[in-house]
Amino acid sequence: MSGRNIIKKTTGLTGLIVCSNPKYMLTRLYAKLVRLLQQMPLESQYSDNDVQEIEDVIQCGQVEELIIQAENEISLARNVLIWKPWEPLLTQPEPNQWKWPPNKN
Amino acid sequence: MVAVKLSVAATIRKPVLDGEGRSRLDDFGRYVAQCLPKYVQQVQVTTPEELHLMIAPEGVLPVMTFMKNHHNAQFASLSAITAVDVPSRRYRFEIIYMLLSLRFNTRVCVKTYTDELTPVDSVCGIYKAANWYEREVWDLYGVYFAHHPDLRRILTDYGFQGHPLRKDFPLTGYVEVRYDDERKRVVCEPLELAQESRSFDLSAPWEQFPNFRDTKAAQEICVKKPKSQEK
Repeated sequence: MSGRNIIKKTTGLTGLIVCSNPKYMLTRLYAKLVRLLQQMPLESQYSDNDVQEIEDVIQCGQVEELIIQAENEISLARNVLIWKPWEPLLTQPEPNQWKWPPNKN
Repeated sequence: MVAVKLSVAATIRKPVLDGEGRSRLDDFGRYVAQCLPKYVQQVQVTTPEELHLMIAPEGVLPVMTFMKNHHNAQFASLSAITAVDVPSRRYRFEIIYMLLSLRFNTRVCVKTYTDELTPVDSVCGIYKAANWYEREVWDLYGVYFAHHPDLRRILTDYGFQGHPLRKDFPLTGYVEVRYDDERKRVVCEPLELAQESRSFDLSAPWEQFPNFRDTKAAQEICVKKPKSQEK
């Protein structure tokens, strides 16, 4: 975003302060994320695509936002390990549950 | 074919997405369904392009957390929660969560279902905005949200009985409030109204929307199951 020798003064976003060492923070968070994703089974789409995700993610806002996003993703990944959403469908819907309009056959 | 015909009429909203945007929407729906096959029952795109995820009621918390925190979704804003009452279904209430992703400028609807007695998990822990919306749904439809911090009526009066947006709630309500001249105060009494005259026949003798006889309300997106679950 800014040149190499320019000190960034603000993110321009309320409540989001400039991070003094963004590179270190991001590397640490992403490493944490990858460690979590390695615990998931390989066929799970979630962990599969996500390494690719990390490479593309640089287009996703300022580093300070990326850090928030990475932290969110870590908390999600921890929960996903508990929920195991790669398992088969829990409840089949009733046959007419998602039919619309409901009165037509 | 239908889309071409619709775009001519000035009063019909034109499709907002081009082919690429539309396929991206389909891909995102498919991606979510493949990430969470345990909870997602169906993925649809409605006629003005809008993605609908139909999920099992057990999956409210996982799916909403996923939608908020996943890098690819980032639906950080909950714009509304509402419900639909369809009494002919076994689970008569549809609960609809409308999400907005400011990062990707996209909206998505997450739908689930319940009946009068089964509680749905409250999403207050994920979205602060859900607090009042869930109170609203509780007030108007009587859907109970488990673990809600403060589930009270929000729109109707103190001591109100019934849930006004249910299909079986009478149009006139159950009580009437009037000023009693003898007692010199406002009284609230059970309604005295002849109910026999209330059988309306609302069906019209003509067809209202003949142009849309064949238009589907929504188009289902086919989701491939992960390899481990194929039979």
